[in-house]
Amino acid sequence: MANLLEQLLNALALAGLLFLVSAGLSLVFGILRVVNFAHGVFYMIGAYLGFTTVALTGWFWPALVVVPPIVGLLGALLESSTLRFIYRRPPIYQLLLTFGLALILEESVRVLYGPTAKGVEPPPLLQGAIDLGGLLYPRYRLFLVVLGCTVGVAVWLFLKATRAGLVIRAVAQNSEMADCLGADVARVRTLVFGAACALAGLGGVAAAPMTTAYLGMGISVIVDAFVVVVIGGLGSIGGSMAGSLIVGAAQTWGAFYLPETAMVIMYAVMGAILVFRPWGLFGEEE
Amino acid sequence: MRRRDFLKAAVAGGAGVSLGGRLYPRAAWAQGPIKIGMPAALSGAYAQYGIQAKRAADLFARDVKAKGVLGRPVEFIFEDTAGDPAAAVRKAQKLVEKDGVKFLTGVALSSEALAVSAKCPEWKVIFMSTINGAGALTAKSFQRYFFRVNTSGPMGARAVSLYLAESPMKRFFALGSDYAWGRDSVASFTSQITAAKKDIVATEFPPVGTKDFASYIAKIRQSRADGVYLVLPGQDATIYLKQAHQFGLNREVKPIMEILELENMKAVGDAMVGAIGSSRYPFTVDTPKNRDFVKRFHELHGLYPDMFDGETYEGLEWLAQVIAKAGTDDVEKVIDAWEDSSYDGLEGPFFMRKCDHQAVQPGFAVECVKDPKYPHPIPKILATYPGEKVTPKCRTEEFS
Repeated sequence: MANLLEQLLNALALAGLLFLVSAGLSLVFGILRVVNFAHGVFYMIGAYLGFTTVALTGWFWPALVVVPPIVGLLGALLESSTLRFIYRRPPIYQLLLTFGLALILEESVRVLYGPTAKGVEPPPLLQGAIDLGGLLYPRYRLFLVVLGCTVGVAVWLFLKATRAGLVIRAVAQNSEMADCLGADVARVRTLVFGAACALAGLGGVAAAPMTTAYLGMGISVIVDAFVVVVIGGLGSIGGSMAGSLIVGAAQTWGAFYLPETAMVIMYAVMGAILVFRPWGLFGEEE
Repeated sequence: MRRRDFLKAAVAGGAGVSLGGRLYPRAAWAQGPIKIGMPAALSGAYAQYGIQAKRAADLFARDVKAKGVLGRPVEFIFEDTAGDPAAAVRKAQKLVEKDGVKFLTGVALSSEALAVSAKCPEWKVIFMSTINGAGALTAKSFQRYFFRVNTSGPMGARAVSLYLAESPMKRFFALGSDYAWGRDSVASFTSQITAAKKDIVATEFPPVGTKDFASYIAKIRQSRADGVYLVLPGQDATIYLKQAHQFGLNREVKPIMEILELENMKAVGDAMVGAIGSSRYPFTVDTPKNRDFVKRFHELHGLYPDMFDGETYEGLEWLAQVIAKAGTDDVEKVIDAWEDSSYDGLEGPFFMRKCDHQAVQPGFAVECVKDPKYPHPIPKILATYPGEKVTPKCRTEEFS
């Protein structure tokens, strides 16, 4: 029983982190129609800025609040200074641009912080393990489960129940029509890009105590995030949640029960989705 | 002020660069510098290893600036491979054909080293390894233009096994990254530890770049092993140790590392204290030569030398010594002079075997400890083994 509970919690904690990254990736595709290769790098920048905030203030909690807006601002600046001008070009231009941005940002982080990974301690409240009926489980991972769920519900409510969410959905569905109806499409795009980067930054801060902040963490997370988005459906928040749960479960349970095939399971699910339901579980057929 | 003192002061003041040429006798200067090419991983996920090689080269260049080697200046040429074997071969070829280097070193990964080494007989240049662990380089894939100054992977596994043979620990879990180094080292460890009448209870091979070790941690805990043997490259090891600490596993199952790196200690911090393992070069070795090296390294770079800072510095110093002995930088003559030669290294005596060009040198078992004198945990030496005990039989990865 304890064993099953542990496996379940492991999957949920990983899914929480994956959701924070893939939700933004999915939103950006839904609204900007851009596959953002640089998205993982914003996650990495979030982790490094989290390290800096903890080093400066000695506290972890402020990092969760301060870092996402900074990363979001950086993202919005980059969108309005580069991406904005090439939306009408073929998708390959956007791929090349975001890939180039990813390389530049990653090497900038290396120059600033050096090659050594930066360890971040969880706040005292979340350090160590807690006894859950015979199962020793790290408090910090439980926090990740809660954080992932909270942010997931908040983003979903925002898109469904607020006026801003309505405009965003309108732009996602048909940007030209939304433009005709008076929505400032350029502004919506910048804000959504910034918000997506802020979510990735939040994910980075949250990941830092579990994985440390290190170079290459962006590249490694973006691969998983793409799989999540393909499974869940591009542009769908519900899809990102479902995809994160599936990939989280495939990775942790695969490594536990079928170690030799752990990596295969995730891609097999993705392959099956691409064959039988190419628009993803929650995506819309075009 | 005499001319000599003036020049010394000029060099110390950093103004010596432009005067460089005048420091050497005219005949030697006419031959040009001795060029050493470094196709190193200076960016990407393995940059920390290439950067260590570069730091060592920077210190060495400063050391020989005044006198040169054979009265000739030494020039380092760096190329960034980003850890990619194909790029390493391309950059090495550029160094050989365009820059005319006769010596290559600073290659970070074993996969890169195997690719570069295979080309050296054709290029007729010496490839000196100071980092690469793969046993095959001095066994199956050996060729006479290759020299390994550093401790190899099997030698590291040997030192740890010798230490564990005498410890009360009996049952081990082996966790190795799923690629050549991880699988080879786990195999080597398994055969040596079973020979010592101890048990391997299970082995697992997580993929390179694993972010979440929770599933493996659950298995290790369930195995009730006394220790877990870890063959994980830099960042993977950092993540494992951090997460195992959060699960409270490090208290139950002792982490035993194929290489116990300073990089990990800086990133993981106090959570790593108590881990044991082998070290290619622990900067805490107490020899007069090493104390002096650590002091000068710290003056130049503001940090303590990691394993490959030390190993690369030793390689460069030894190479210079061999060139001086040969009286020329002619590649064939340098090879002859290097074979069966001795060198007084930072951590003890080195000897270059003629049969497979593996440097025989002391092996170390170390423990990660806290010391208030240092800003991060440090490797404390638990046991030192003489070169004969930790070096494999010639051109093999086996021990007698």
